[in-house]
Amino acid sequence: MSEIQMYLTNTAGISSMASFWAFVISGGLRPNADFRKTLLKIATFVMAVGFIALTLAIVARGIEAQRFPLSNLWESLLWFAWATMGGYLYIARAYGIQQLGWLASLTAATMFLYGSWLPQSQHEIQPLVPALVSYWRQIHVPPLIISYAMFFLAGLAGFINLFFCGRYVSLACSALAVILACTAIQLGTHSKTDAHILQALFVGATVFGPLASFLTFRIYSARRMADEKSQKLAAVYDDVGNRCVAIGFPLLTIGIITGGLWANHAWGSYWSWDPKESMALVTWLGYAAYIHLRIQQNLSQEKLSVVLIIGLLLTLLTYLGFNSLGFGGLHSYGQFK
Amino acid sequence: MEPTIITKPNLEPELEIDPVAEKKAVRGGRKISPFASVQLSVFLMVLMAITVLLGAWCPQEGQVGQDKVFEAFNPEMAQWMIKLGISDIFHTPWFLALTAMMTLNMIVVSFQRVFPKIKTINEQLPFFGMREINRLPVHHLVSIADPDQKTAIMADLTSRLTRMGYKVEVEGHRLRAQSGKYGRLAASVTHVGLLSLLAGVSITSWTGFNGFKPVLMRESLDFKDASHAKLWVGKIPDWTARVQSTRRENYPSGEAKQWYSLLSVRDAKGKEITQGEISVNNPLSYDGVDIYQSSWGLDKLVVAFNGKERKFDLNSMGNRYAAMLPLTSDMILIMSLPTDGSEMRLFAKIPQVEQPRLLTTVAKGQTVDLGDVKFTFKEAIPITGLQYKCDPGLPVTYAAFFIIMAGVMLAAVPHRHVWASIENGGLYFGGASRKAKVGFEIALKDLAAKLGERK
Repeated sequence: MSEIQMYLTNTAGISSMASFWAFVISGGLRPNADFRKTLLKIATFVMAVGFIALTLAIVARGIEAQRFPLSNLWESLLWFAWATMGGYLYIARAYGIQQLGWLASLTAATMFLYGSWLPQSQHEIQPLVPALVSYWRQIHVPPLIISYAMFFLAGLAGFINLFFCGRYVSLACSALAVILACTAIQLGTHSKTDAHILQALFVGATVFGPLASFLTFRIYSARRMADEKSQKLAAVYDDVGNRCVAIGFPLLTIGIITGGLWANHAWGSYWSWDPKESMALVTWLGYAAYIHLRIQQNLSQEKLSVVLIIGLLLTLLTYLGFNSLGFGGLHSYGQFK
Repeated sequence: MEPTIITKPNLEPELEIDPVAEKKAVRGGRKISPFASVQLSVFLMVLMAITVLLGAWCPQEGQVGQDKVFEAFNPEMAQWMIKLGISDIFHTPWFLALTAMMTLNMIVVSFQRVFPKIKTINEQLPFFGMREINRLPVHHLVSIADPDQKTAIMADLTSRLTRMGYKVEVEGHRLRAQSGKYGRLAASVTHVGLLSLLAGVSITSWTGFNGFKPVLMRESLDFKDASHAKLWVGKIPDWTARVQSTRRENYPSGEAKQWYSLLSVRDAKGKEITQGEISVNNPLSYDGVDIYQSSWGLDKLVVAFNGKERKFDLNSMGNRYAAMLPLTSDMILIMSLPTDGSEMRLFAKIPQVEQPRLLTTVAKGQTVDLGDVKFTFKEAIPITGLQYKCDPGLPVTYAAFFIIMAGVMLAAVPHRHVWASIENGGLYFGGASRKAKVGFEIALKDLAAKLGERK
């Protein structure tokens, strides 16, 4: 990795961390304080700086590698962080909201941190294996990574919606599920813990966390529910979640289909039930169910938010869980063990 | 007097605007089949997701063999996986039944719920008055101080909505506008795509075939062992593809960059019809059959001892290939080759010494003396892994892919309605959007502010 590329990537990583703290500190200030408004603007500006730096870092890596820079886990993490930051900046501008900022910057910072712990070989520019030497790589992979980032933002919007709906216990159950799932991925990446234990941890968290969230809907903060401003913000975040899915779902569909076209072009089979393919289909079915539930069933926004959080967990499993929790298959380029 | 703006954000559950289709359904009095239930669709999607998840989690015998199931789990657990069918879940009656149910549900939903909406695409909603507008999820009032301004403010609203991409119609002092009506076709287009996909896959299943065969250089690929569905009406071709040559291209670091095979397509009598070089991601197509470069390796080593030819199997060892020959009870001759098979290194290995000892190097075609033996390195024969398939349903499947992509992209287009009416000294206007509601709300609020700025 060249110095300029490292400098730009570090700038992006530090910016995401700095904007996270700026968002967090601003959250502790009085809502109408002038300093809070200034701090929120600074946080958004710092994230925008990080986004630009990361854009340049990805371009620099592409120039250095003389190929499209999306071929291993480290490069995909850069793209994911880039799409998360870009997605947040778009949402903040379109909706005029900033409560999502600390979660978006935390996600980006976590990706940088996770990526920095990967082996050095992941950071270095490596030659491509024959299967990846194809123009289909740049058609197939970016829509998938961007869709994952949009689904993450949708799930995060689901958390904020639960907060403004006063469903604190449900929120805590879902948050615990995501924390446990992330722990399983972290342990799977950086420890020798048995894969079945980690799979059980991930699946257990994915099943029981959202289930507990649904079961505890009856417990809510009456004060929050009576607050008109909170209700309006809850409706906004419900819409944000839906908007992110409206962007992410077509991208996921395009990613899956172009993957099929590539596989057919390269191996003569557009679908082979490879674990990564299957997981992408599971995620697609999950969001297809969300769209059908949203359009046809008129579920409450709190329940839809939990569905978005389930979607986030499925996305996490498809994107990172696949590599770290001991799945095999054709898509093992992201693996490094 | 300056006009005043009253904004009433509506926090009630939004009016689900698709009244034309809904009214039609009621008017038509159609009976909806239980198989067209959206609840059933969601339920089946969840069941399918769980099933596929199990298939992703447990190694599938059809792809990686039963050994991998035992590798992944302890023997008892592996036995259970096999017994329950989880290790071959995509061929179980459960999965096939689920697929059949989903197909049935999709067909019935498509014809009873989704496609009828296409007919309503050009139907217009009525003009709304003040009462109806005030019941819309987003509505505003711009008061008009000067009655002479009525026409001007309506013209201003018309022009602004047109610039925002709405198709506007005005009747007296009432206005109706809509944008993104083709977004309503998203579900129909996506369902057409999914049904086309089913058709494409069915055609392939009934008439197509596929297979894989490792073929040595100068030998031929035939299709006798091709696999196909039990219910099948296709034809296996009698032509063959001879591997004229095959090679591996490396990066400077020695890693594989690409594999190539030059194929000669020959008819049943052995006469060449065509020729082409394939590589990974670059197949050869002939007579509806595609042949793909799938893997590559050095397979056989041909050497001679004092002129007597012998063949050895080569094994992959990192970036090199090697064959072993026991010379005595405690000595092995190791013949090691690079991936291009150009120059052989000969080693002797005895148990007492950890590292094998390099005896000599031999170029292809060269002879060296090994004690009393004349050793000749004749050649290393590569083997190329060829994947092939005949997929007559592919054009339909590809068309389906593009229709599905178009459908899901249309889903991102929000369908919006705006109504306005000038009554009681004010301009009442409002609207509804099923998607991107907040953006719609902001846009109408801005519109109200701009109309309010009129003097």
